[in-house]
Amino acid sequence: MCQSCHVRAVSTYRTAERNCRDTGEGAAGLTTHAPHASQSVTLPASLDEAVAALTAMPAAVPVAGGTDLMAAVNAGLLRPAGLVGLGRISEIRGWQYLDGHALLGAGLTLARMGRPDFAALIPGLAAAARAAGPPQIRNAGTLGGNIVTCAPTGDTLPVLAALEATVIVAGPGGARREIPVSHLLTGREMLHPGELVGFVRVPLLHAPQTFLKATGRTGPGRATASVALVLDPARRAVRCAVGAVAAMPLRPLEAEQWVASLIDWDGERGLVPEALAAFGDYVAAACIPDPAPPQDGSEPVTLPPAALHLRRTVAALARRALGRALS
Amino acid sequence: MTGTTDGAAVTATPAAGVPLPEEPTHGLGASLPAADAAAKTQGTFPYAADLWAEGLLWAAVLRSPHPRARIRSVDTRHATEMPGVRAVVTHEDVPGDRGYGRGTADRPVFAKDEVRHHGEPIAAVAADHPDTARLAAAAIVVEYEVLEAVTDPQLAFEAEPLHPDGNLIRHIPLRFGDAEAVGEVMVEGFYRIGRQDPAPIGAEAGLAVPRPDGGVEIYTASTDPHADRDLAAASFGLAPEQVKVVVTGVPGATGDREDPGIQLSLGLLALRTGCPVKLAATREESFLAHTHRHPTLLRYRHHADAEGRLVKVEAQILMDAGAYADTSAEALAAAVSFACGPYVVPHAVVEGWAVRTNNPPSGHMRGEGALQVCAAYEGQMDKLAAQLGLEPDEIRRRNVMATGDLLPTGQTVTCPAPVAELLRAVTEAPLPELPKDTPEAEWLLPGGPEGAGEPGAVRRGVGYALGMVHMLGAEGTDEVSTATVKVSGSVATVICAAVDTGSGFATLARQIVQETLGVEEVHVAGVDTDQPPAGRACHGRHTWVSGGAVERAARMVRTQLLQPLAHKFGMSTELLQIADGKITSYDGVLSTTVAEALDGKELWATAQCRPHPTEPLDETGQGDAFVGLAFCAIRCVADVDIELGTVRVVEMAVAQDVGRILNPRQLRARIEAGVTQGLGAALMENLRTTRGQVRHPDLTGYPLPTALDAPDIRIVKLVEERDVVAPFGAKAVSAVPVVTAPAAVASAVRAATGRPIGRLPIRPQAAVAQPVPVPQH
Repeated sequence: MCQSCHVRAVSTYRTAERNCRDTGEGAAGLTTHAPHASQSVTLPASLDEAVAALTAMPAAVPVAGGTDLMAAVNAGLLRPAGLVGLGRISEIRGWQYLDGHALLGAGLTLARMGRPDFAALIPGLAAAARAAGPPQIRNAGTLGGNIVTCAPTGDTLPVLAALEATVIVAGPGGARREIPVSHLLTGREMLHPGELVGFVRVPLLHAPQTFLKATGRTGPGRATASVALVLDPARRAVRCAVGAVAAMPLRPLEAEQWVASLIDWDGERGLVPEALAAFGDYVAAACIPDPAPPQDGSEPVTLPPAALHLRRTVAALARRALGRALS
Repeated sequence: MTGTTDGAAVTATPAAGVPLPEEPTHGLGASLPAADAAAKTQGTFPYAADLWAEGLLWAAVLRSPHPRARIRSVDTRHATEMPGVRAVVTHEDVPGDRGYGRGTADRPVFAKDEVRHHGEPIAAVAADHPDTARLAAAAIVVEYEVLEAVTDPQLAFEAEPLHPDGNLIRHIPLRFGDAEAVGEVMVEGFYRIGRQDPAPIGAEAGLAVPRPDGGVEIYTASTDPHADRDLAAASFGLAPEQVKVVVTGVPGATGDREDPGIQLSLGLLALRTGCPVKLAATREESFLAHTHRHPTLLRYRHHADAEGRLVKVEAQILMDAGAYADTSAEALAAAVSFACGPYVVPHAVVEGWAVRTNNPPSGHMRGEGALQVCAAYEGQMDKLAAQLGLEPDEIRRRNVMATGDLLPTGQTVTCPAPVAELLRAVTEAPLPELPKDTPEAEWLLPGGPEGAGEPGAVRRGVGYALGMVHMLGAEGTDEVSTATVKVSGSVATVICAAVDTGSGFATLARQIVQETLGVEEVHVAGVDTDQPPAGRACHGRHTWVSGGAVERAARMVRTQLLQPLAHKFGMSTELLQIADGKITSYDGVLSTTVAEALDGKELWATAQCRPHPTEPLDETGQGDAFVGLAFCAIRCVADVDIELGTVRVVEMAVAQDVGRILNPRQLRARIEAGVTQGLGAALMENLRTTRGQVRHPDLTGYPLPTALDAPDIRIVKLVEERDVVAPFGAKAVSAVPVVTAPAAVASAVRAATGRPIGRLPIRPQAAVAQPVPVPQH
């Protein structure tokens, strides 16, 4: 393990003593001392050191914001043998420009991405970051964590899918490889042992982007459905991804192409309400399709009411998202 | 003695730290802060989960993964052999009574032959590390024969018995007036109320410490320490004196929040190992183990005349008690008795059942029984209004009850019942303004600040609800409390085993003693079972019975203090006043200090308060079952995105019958907390199960209202009409807003969408109005 890694083995837990009758006399023996569990924590200062630490201790788990990982630890579902903390790797906590793209560090917090300077750059991602849970979660949770956790309700994921972002993965020996984010989310390509998500490369489109999320409540909550929509005027394209309705974000490609062909890219860009509504229905039907008609020619199966409501929700979100992007 | 406070003016000053000019700084009517407020906000207050004893062991409980299964065998060998494991206990190790339970003792400490709900305890382990204990619990091999779970309460009647006591826990066929009466107008409705969880912020935790005399002390956040002690002693096969329950701070409770089963496991393990044993339940365990609000199915038929006056109410109420009875019989009595609401109903036919299923256990939760029926009878009032073309507030106005009217149980409402005044207060309060002067981007729309809400799809609805609850236990329970007051020097101490669950009783006790004895420094001692019992902390009991006991004891001390002086001065004790530590005669001529009068002595007095007795409901649901009633009116204004079905409650205007305001700030806080809990029941809180399996036992899957979900809560009126039988004339305030709020939210969503809204919590698909939006109410 490299020199700058700080390895701590904390074990201050007190073991029970056999002869405890004499302390069992009530409140006299009571204190409010809280014990700690033992754990090996590594805090590398660079991406390559982190990869080295993971390679050296394959059972260790990388942790950034810990908003998903530590919840699992607290619930007793996960007891990692060691942790590689990514919080001190300054190279992945910011972003830089790179030929028409932004190179976002995987350690960017959701709170940082929600700020106005970032919103001017990638408004869709900023909106998703602002919607992603309460302030405590946004202060800790990171872009890279959102990607590797790959929860269906991960709010940044549909935006990354709509932006067709790519993930730059750091591997042992300073190796770097680039994977389209959709390949990672769908499992077409996986992270290998010892690899870490280092950066996310996002095209700068200089056009409106929207992210709309439906939750059952007014306070922060997990999405029941979300829609990310970006305009790409250079390629005269509309790209849309629907989150939370499936295990990974869904791209309604036909609906995108159809609506892009309707837009007057050199003019006002507006669409009539009927076209917006048709786009919404198109997207919703693509993401939540009708069940296939039965082979034996019997009565076709209809969607259950909950699925129909979800479809209506997606249609409304997609319609509103496109309307706001074009207005 | 009718005095009303203009609550709008009171709540218009949100600076909670500043007392109003006319408000006293101590004694009754003062906004005294809680003595432990600073420690609790700074995180230094020791809750049960923070306790530590030298050489303690950690406990873990093995729980059933099945809602219903026969236990073929329990093999604890692997667990016992694990290094670090000190004891494993199962049903075989329970020396005493095998059953326990709050209302009915029908629940085994550890399942023996059969498990009856998901999460039922089967065994417990004590080990020298919490992880070892958890691993050992997981290493216990239980052979199950999975049986088909009965999870639909409607099928419980026909299903094979799930418990030796049978599936019907209680049936109340209430008959009042003429069962054959028919009204000119009839409306019918079906209502379904979900399973709300108490969701305390601190999960269950405890520490059991064995005593050299063979007894055990249990440190836990009990809300009814004496009952818990008796349950524990019976289970451990010990005399009650050998078990002591010490109450640590209660981290967030609404009445009985605790699963006493955890205390029993801890005590057994401590007795077995001879070591202190600690357990801090995980959130998942907490959700599985403690009791919930009864999921309830309600069928209603309301009869009214052409003017909208109620003629008859027919209702069928089916409460799902879960696997064990707990307090279900009591909850059913409340549901049946209040099935018609605070309205004058000449004829009523109400059938109520509480049945056993394999669902998570139901039990006490603020306003149990009353909340479920409130959502239903208020839904019916909205239907009647629509049928008759009346405004929803008008139909209610034509039917409200007043003092002297009868409940359908035949009991006369003798306490103040200012329902008409409450309704008038909420209808006359100005409606919240539309945010037309602020930029559209800043509007808080349904769905939240970064949500998808679109102003064009949002409809605003206004709904009303009237609710009622009973105070104290019902149907003949002995609701006694005992308190001791001691004065020494310039300091008074209150010793009373009434647990302050956050209800503010400790603060109130200090105020009562300040008021009676004129001593400013008053301490409230910690609660344990060496003190005389004060009963459980629910139904606003402690304000009434324990407050009454504290007052009597303080008066007795006062008499002891003044008697020698009165004798010396040659005047009666009534002519002497105590204020600011000084004793003065009525004419101000004679004066001395409390410290001088005490002359180094300590004065003690103990007193009891026992409210007038009640009687059980008879076989037709008739009887004077309740000591007192409290009423509330809420007007709810809600915005609904009618395409997505998302609801944001904008404002809740509350008018409440409080008897007398004893601590204004505390009272407002309790009402706001109650309304927010009711909002949770209306919009989001439902512990969902699939065939008896709890689906998401965590706070992500079970969302609670946050600051963004909570509406502006405007207390428009607090009616102070003193209840002559209650000490100080004060009524319990916490439960009735919880009961009323869900019905008010449902009413507002009905007004906004035109949809029936028969199910709580309201699902988004039920609040979608398409294709043509209904005009605003």
